Amino acid sequence: MTAQDTIRARARELLENGEVTTFIGWESGRFENQTTPLVITDASDADKLVCNEYCVNTLAKYARDVVTRGKVGMVVRGCDSRGIVRLINDQVINREDVYLIGVGCAGVRDRKTGELLKKCAECRHGDPVICDEMAGDAAGRPQPSERFKEVHEVELMTQPERSRYFEGVYAKCIRCYACRDVCPCCTCRECFVDQRRENWVGKQNNVAENRFYSLTRVMHIADRCIECGECERACPMGLPLMKLNRKVIKDLNDLFGEFESSMTLDEEPGKLITYDLVDCEEFM
Amino acid sequence: MSGIEIAHGCAKGERPLIPQVCRVVEITQETPDVKSFRLQTLDGRKPFDCQPGQLGMFGLLAYGECMFVVSAQSDEWVQFTVKKVGLVTEQLHALSVGDEVSLRGPYGNWWPVEACKGKDMLFISGGIGLPPVRSFLLYCLEHREDFGRIDLVYSGSKYDDLVFKEQLFDIWPNEPDMHVHVSLYHEDPQWDGPVAYTAPFLETLELGPEDGNRVAVLCGGPSLSRTCREALVGVGFDEGHIITTLEMRMKCGVGKCGRCNMGGHFICLDGPIFTLEEIASMHSDV
Amino acid sequence: MILTKQNLMPLLRNLTGAERDVFVPTQVDGVSKFALMDKGTVPDFEQVNTTMPPKDLLFPQTQKMYHFDVDANGSYRIHEYDESREQLVFGIRPCDMRSIVCLDEVFLTKGFVDEFYANAREKLTCVCIGCASAAETCFCASMDVDPQLAPNADVMLQDCGDVYNVIAQTPKGEVEVAAWAPFVEEGVVEPVTCEQSLAVSMEGVVDKLEGMYDHPIWDNLSIKCLNCGTCTYLCPTCHCFDISQDMRRKDGVRFRCWDSCMFSEYTMMAGGHNPRPEKLERVRNRFMHKLNFFERRYGMSLCVGCGRCVEKCPVALDITRLIDDVAAIG
Repeated sequence: MTAQDTIRARARELLENGEVTTFIGWESGRFENQTTPLVITDASDADKLVCNEYCVNTLAKYARDVVTRGKVGMVVRGCDSRGIVRLINDQVINREDVYLIGVGCAGVRDRKTGELLKKCAECRHGDPVICDEMAGDAAGRPQPSERFKEVHEVELMTQPERSRYFEGVYAKCIRCYACRDVCPCCTCRECFVDQRRENWVGKQNNVAENRFYSLTRVMHIADRCIECGECERACPMGLPLMKLNRKVIKDLNDLFGEFESSMTLDEEPGKLITYDLVDCEEFM
Repeated sequence: MSGIEIAHGCAKGERPLIPQVCRVVEITQETPDVKSFRLQTLDGRKPFDCQPGQLGMFGLLAYGECMFVVSAQSDEWVQFTVKKVGLVTEQLHALSVGDEVSLRGPYGNWWPVEACKGKDMLFISGGIGLPPVRSFLLYCLEHREDFGRIDLVYSGSKYDDLVFKEQLFDIWPNEPDMHVHVSLYHEDPQWDGPVAYTAPFLETLELGPEDGNRVAVLCGGPSLSRTCREALVGVGFDEGHIITTLEMRMKCGVGKCGRCNMGGHFICLDGPIFTLEEIASMHSDV
Repeated sequence: MILTKQNLMPLLRNLTGAERDVFVPTQVDGVSKFALMDKGTVPDFEQVNTTMPPKDLLFPQTQKMYHFDVDANGSYRIHEYDESREQLVFGIRPCDMRSIVCLDEVFLTKGFVDEFYANAREKLTCVCIGCASAAETCFCASMDVDPQLAPNADVMLQDCGDVYNVIAQTPKGEVEVAAWAPFVEEGVVEPVTCEQSLAVSMEGVVDKLEGMYDHPIWDNLSIKCLNCGTCTYLCPTCHCFDISQDMRRKDGVRFRCWDSCMFSEYTMMAGGHNPRPEKLERVRNRFMHKLNFFERRYGMSLCVGCGRCVEKCPVALDITRLIDDVAAIG
């Protein structure tokens, strides 16, 4: 029995038994090797579910929207499960709101080229960090050796080079907010960019406003980022958004010690929202 | 019985997105959070000619602009009545006489004054819904002989929220064959009149039999509009004889920027005035 | 008249001059878009569709409308901008030409002319290149667009393999083509037939949607939508805008910028009421606008079948599947 068969069978059972109200997974899209997220409420739709090496979307964020309808069943790989841990630790959902069927992941491929997606090549945890049951075995994929390779590249630039580089990046941004909307850390009820009254960010599209938006978001998710890479994948303009996220994570590692967010339900509160007398104060 | 015919998409204009700088020539504090502003051009003229019920984009260059119904006009000025609810309206409330503001318009369609001639008029509104309705009421009073009996049913949450009190209590009740009915939603030490929501209040009034010659003009929040519509339909009103003016967020005023659509209609351009019969046939999110 | 493909670049180099800006499809820093042609630009006429649509040539993402300041007497003054320039876009595709038909309807009709759009439109010359092949996501033929025809282009270049048929379709186009004399020759060739693998049937869909405002299909569709603005910003016909201002002490600039009906803030009113508060209302409004509202108002679809949203939606929310699903409803 393949993992996909197990997922279909279990989704059907969970929905039929009323253990979950909705089930979140993927279905085939119109094009070859294309998949798209699927939310079902009817057990008879369970056979639409697919689970293969082309399931590009990380599903965690949907739990936030769907949980209002009742208990949610969903398929989780490493990234999906860390997203769920994030939502639980941020008190967006409760652990008992979700029933998680884990599946080992060896990485997702681009449907056109067949190549491993960048986010998956960089992934450090292909297997679920939490789940209620597994469909199939863990993949046990080895971790890539260099977590901060891209950051080193940026750090090697001179200051003017870096400045020019990021100006180029933000000149391309169209502010569609796909990076925010796909991110399991971005769960503010009202995002600061939508607070027109306060007008934190102007609506004009230019490098200054685009950069302000992006850097504010980066800092806001800094100590919570699960490194799923969905922001970068979703970006229609191809902005290297994970470089920034990882730069901040690397800085946090250097300042506060090695950490990875959203690995367990009992993780310590984020480094940027807690205060400690031994925190370094280089600037004072 | 055919409905009242309302013109849609009838506004025309040149250079619709460029405002003119105008001056505030008179400010009236209507309630603690409602003020009326009379505006003139810097050389003392009326900023634009408009029909009762049309809209103007009134604002401050530094803060932004909002759409309002022209609540009254003369040969020299136009007036907007503004409730303090957001960023721009807060700044408008800080204005003094002589200050400069931005204004563009007029936009949208207007009350069907011609189609209503010879009819009895029933105006119904709540709170800050009276200023848009008043533009039509004032027209009727200026052309008194063209209209039959006039009733105004008006309610507010508390006494302080009633706008245009002088007209409500001293002037309009003395107009020929005009009947003003005011209620408050809640008991208030300053009030010894009826306490009732608008729709039940409406049902208590002796307005005479519904003979098909009466037109209702309705403007209020979503719940007032719904309950009053039900009350009117209950006493035999045709939805085509109930006219309302709609509100939605607007930016351009000319049906291009997109956000004020109701199905394929734009409130700023095709509206804001529709009969309830027309609204019932639209894909409405309002 | 025909233009050989070898003569394309020599012609293009000849077209660029100080008096007007020439835009061509190209890659800028990894993003495919219509960009100003200069010495170093390498046009890409093989790619079927640019990622960014050409609408910003007529309707920039951020456009200054006027600036204002205070004079010595303390009085506000408004200073207008007209930043429109003569522009030639070379290599625009038939689907994008159809999008300009839609934009013309919005910005130039119904009693008010949008002067910013009108100024830019007046000064835009369009040379359309027909499509000999389609991308996987192209479905313009299903949306009443012929991939080798664009009646509103000033000049139509039909792809015939090694050469283009050159057809001047407007007075502006005739003037344009007259200046191409050294590069074109007499003749007419049979255009290549463009095969599209993606096809949908719009048969009955507009009318069916009329009665489907409360149909469960919108919940199924919107539940996976992220409510990002990708589809709206990449759509060649989406034209919603916001008006805002940028202040520096007492002077400032009022500008307009692209806005998206996917954003919750788009319809949020000052008092806190939002007529489209959830994804469902917003997604429904967008697709109804594309496939029904615009048809009813202007007599044409607001989807031109360019496939950009199909290609780029982060969750593969696919308008062609919606069309099929609506068509399949009994």
